[in-house]
Parts: sequence; structure tokens; C-alpha cells
Amino acid sequence: MKPILEVQGLTRIHGTECPSCLDMTGPEHNTNVCPACGSIVAAANVSFSLQPGEILGIMGESGSGKSTVVKTLYFDQAPTRGKACFRDDTRTHDLFELNSAEQRWLRNHRFGMVYQNPNLGLNFSISAGGNIAERLLMNDLNHYGDIRRRASELLTRTDVMVGRMDESPRQFSGGMQQRVQIAKALATRPPLLFLDEVTTGLDLSVQARILDLILEIQHELDTAMIVVTHDLGVIRLLASRTLVMKHGRVIESGLTDQILEDPQHAYTQQLVASTL
Amino acid sequence: MNPNYKLPAAQDSYSFGFLDEFAKREIRRVILKAISIPGYQTPYASREMPMGRGFGTGGLQLTLAMIGPDDTLKVIDQGSDDSVNAVNLRKFAELTCPGVSTTESTADASLIQTRHRVPETALREDQVLNLQVPYPDPLVIVEPSEARRKVMHGEGDYARLLTKLYEDLVQFDEITISHRYPTRVNGHYVIDPSPIPRYDVPRLHQAKALMLFGAGREKKIYAVPPYTDAEPLVFDDIPFRTENFHTADGKRRPCARCGATDSFLDELNLETGGKAWQCSDTDYCNRQLAAANDREVTP
Ligand SMILES: Nc1ncnc2c1ncn2[C@@H]1O[C@H](COP(=O)(O)OP(=O)(O)O)[C@@H](O)[C@H]1O
Ligand SMILES: [Mg+2]
Ligand SMILES: [Zn+2]
Ligand SMILES: [Zn+2]
Repeated sequence: MKPILEVQGLTRIHGTECPSCLDMTGPEHNTNVCPACGSIVAAANVSFSLQPGEILGIMGESGSGKSTVVKTLYFDQAPTRGKACFRDDTRTHDLFELNSAEQRWLRNHRFGMVYQNPNLGLNFSISAGGNIAERLLMNDLNHYGDIRRRASELLTRTDVMVGRMDESPRQFSGGMQQRVQIAKALATRPPLLFLDEVTTGLDLSVQARILDLILEIQHELDTAMIVVTHDLGVIRLLASRTLVMKHGRVIESGLTDQILEDPQHAYTQQLVASTL
Repeated sequence: MNPNYKLPAAQDSYSFGFLDEFAKREIRRVILKAISIPGYQTPYASREMPMGRGFGTGGLQLTLAMIGPDDTLKVIDQGSDDSVNAVNLRKFAELTCPGVSTTESTADASLIQTRHRVPETALREDQVLNLQVPYPDPLVIVEPSEARRKVMHGEGDYARLLTKLYEDLVQFDEITISHRYPTRVNGHYVIDPSPIPRYDVPRLHQAKALMLFGAGREKKIYAVPPYTDAEPLVFDDIPFRTENFHTADGKRRPCARCGATDSFLDELNLETGGKAWQCSDTDYCNRQLAAANDREVTP
């Protein structure tokens, strides 16, 4: 099977880059700040591929560059360099070569994103149903009755009480807000979903139910996902393969079971040991 | 405007139509561009006029850039030819465009400048309607940044505007926008058709006359050219509705003055405490009244 996504050499540097940026940062230098010019190397030379329906985990401590990877792929920010190819049914899209209208089309029709902070993914000044309606409208669904029906189906599927679909998500609990975000992301049945620390900060029982929901969705819709987290438990439960990042670099990658059983990199060993 | 105002004695120093020839030429070029890209908010260098912006300077600049000595001009404000605003603008045109005739009759006008209404009498191919626009961009309610709004217009991205309509339906069971109803022109750009009532929006669609929109303060000109689609933004299953002026028992209210049942009515508070409904288009009302009187006189 051909991968749905192939990423090569993805790099994102904040600041005026200098020739030393890549040589003088990374795990072996124990920093992502270039000592020569002060630029922040948020991510450098990140490469991986993702199969249709697969869940890939990206794990690492805070600041290691995990969000940078998914945000560039979702076009929230542009990479400094690198290449990413997204394979749709028949066509291959060279993501960073597309113009902004083409990028917006893919983002609205073929990708979904769930942010750690519901503020980024939801508009609190409109209703929960309106948030989903917006995404359906972007997909040229223009029938009010159908939009209402589809929005309530999605909210039912993600265990949000349909009776509350006309309320602003502002007054919802954190777990409910994440469910609305997931419903919104799923509205267009995208083949590729980005999940950035979606359970961070939630109660353990709420976390468990959301993780179950994500797994169910993956089984039902065969959605490929990139799951970003600093929580080994989330990785263990969801991801078949995992990248471990530190200071903007991928330091280890492979099958999740293998990484957890037999971590190669000292940093990963430490991470795994600390959660045993 | 000061009613006693007169142009200085040395009238030679003023161009016909007040604006200098360079200004007129620029506005004409912008009008041509606006016609070529229906619904596109074309930027232009809005000139200072001897009246406050917000008093129709956008519409007036369109009028002054186009008008010639052969033209017959009609100016209306909310349908009326004799409101202070309409009178002032008409006087200004009379002062600065020697030779131009003015009229209150829609049918006799070659050029009509208007605020808040499209005339009831159907316009013809040889007529131009200049609408005064306070806020040209329908996207301001969903996007504060003009740079981002431009991209949204360019990409025809109006999902957030439709989401507003969705929210309206959820909250009020109907779309509550009464004026400035967002309207898609020629299948792409969505315009703010200026504060005309919903009643007038269908009149933009496939109209015979050229419709120009001038926003003086916001420095934009846009157009709905003749025979061009202009469709209010709606959902497939919720038809666009105009004001129907029905009484509680579902009958169409007639104009209290002329009896017309096919015009946009203004609601008036009577001194006796009651309410009455009357045509907002005074020319139309007068005409209906005259026709009715004729029928009575010659049975
Ligand atoms: N806009 C920005 N300007 C400067 N530095 C940034 C910016 N965004 C992220 N960074 C830095 O890039 C690094 C990686 O950030 P991020 O990808 O958010 O990490 P993670 O998601 O793993 O916590 C961090 O050091 C962060 O401070
Ligand atoms: Mg992060
Ligand atoms: Zn550097
Ligand atoms: Zn009348």
C-alpha cells in the first residue's frame, strides 16, 4: 500500500537563520537555540511516512517540536524547508508547493485538526452546531436541513448531548469541548487527522473515554492520524508506530511496542523508565 | 449644505461637475474596472467633497464623474425626492453641472442617485443607478482584517458568512437581516448591496440598468452590470423572503395614500396614535395616485 503522507526533511526555524543553526543545535548540543545567531530550531530534518488508516505517534517533552510538525502539515505555519506529499485517491499533492487556495481546500476538505486548546479549534461566539456547520458549508453542503442532521449525527457520535448543540461551546466542560472539536474535524470524513495533545489536562476518566472514541473512529472510518503527545500512555494505547523527538530532531522511530520494550536512545530509555 | 451657498464668481476655476478632469477620469477608469469584475470592490482615490463623508459622497462622485449636459438626474433618499439629503445633493449637482436637468420622475431620469432604495418603476437599459454605500464589505462581520477579507473574496470563501445565517436560523427560526443582505454577483463575489431593504434585492438580478455602488469613506466602487446574476446568499432549502406587508389575517396591506399593493411600504406613526402604511417611493406613489384620479375623472 502506498503511504497517504510522506514527509522529508521538514524544518522550521524561527529567526534569521545562519549556517551554524543545524550544526550547533539538537540533542547532542542539548538545545534548540542556535548559539551563533539565537534562532530557534523548532524542527529540523523530520522525515516519516504514514499509511492510510495508520496512527502514528509523535512523542517528546514540551518544546521538542511536536506541534510544529503537525502545524506545518495543517498549514497553520509554513516550514522553512522540507517536502510533504499527501496522496489522495488518485492524486499526489506536494503540500508546500501548493498555492494558498489549494492549501485551504485540502485543509477544509481532506484534513482535520484537534488542538490541545479548544480556543484554537472552536469559535466560541457561535454555537457548537454552528462550528460544525461552518466546516460543512466550506465543503459546499448548502442545505440547512442536511447541515442540522449531519451536525447532530456527528455530535451524537462523539457523545455530545444533541440537546446542547445550539449552545456556545464556551460553557461546555473541557472534555465536551474536545468532543465538539473531534466532531468538527470529522465533519468531512477526512482521510487524515492531526491530534495535538487532545487529552492533556483532562481528568483521567475523561481522557480514557476520548481515547476510546479516537480508536473507534479509526476503526470505523479508517482515518490515518498523527497523534502528538508527551504522554507515553496515550502513545501506548493509540499509536502503532512512534517518532520520539528532542530539541527539534527525531531521535528514534519505529514500532511503538519495540520502542517501549527496547528503547535505543538514552533519552527514550529514560522516558520509558520514568513511567514504569 | 448651506442653502445660501453660491459658487465663487470666477466659475471658470471650477470644472463641470465640480471634480477636476483627472479625478473624473480616474473614477471612470475604476467604474470600467468594476463593471469588468462584477461585485469586486475596486479601490479608488475618493476625493474630498464639500460635505461630510457619510452624506453620500461615494454616490455623488460616481454621479459627477459620469454626468454630462444631456443627462437628466434624479436623486432620492429612502425613496423620497424631497428629503433634506436628496434636495442638497440635487442642488449641488444643479450648481456644479450647468445645463443638466433634474427630475423627480424615475422614467424621465437617465441617471439616478439613491440612498436605501431601488425605485419601484422598473429601470431600463439606458438608465444608470448609483447607490450610496456606507459599508462596502459584507465580510466585516466575520473577519476584522481587511487583508484576510481580500483573500476570502478572492477565493470565494463565504462559509463564515453562511454560518452567520445558520446561527440566525437556529436562534430566531428565520434570517433576521433586514437591510444590506449579502448578495452574490455573477456567481463569485458577495457584495453588500448598501442599505436597501430585502424587498429591493431581487431587483439587482438580471437588471436592465447598470447598478453602481460608491463608498466614499471606504474608497470603494463596485458594480452589478446589466443582465448579471445577483443572488442573495441562502440555503438550498430555505428560500429568500422579502418583506410581505401582510396584515394579521394575511392580506397584503395597501398604501394608505395611493392604494398600491405592489410597493415597499413605510410604517408611519400617526399623530392620532395609530399607524399607517405608505409607499416609500414618492414618485411611484404620486403616479399611482394620479392614475387613480384619472380613472375617477374619466369613467
Ligand atoms: N512562533 C514561534 N516563535 C519562536 N519560537 C517558537 C514559535 N513557535 C514555537 N517556537 C519554539 O519552537 C520549539 C518547538 O515548539 P513546539 O513545536 O510547540 O513544541 P512542542 O509541541 O513539542 O511542545 C519551542 O522551543 C518553542 O518555544
Ligand atoms: Mg505542543
Ligand atoms: Zn544560527
Ligand atoms: Zn402609495
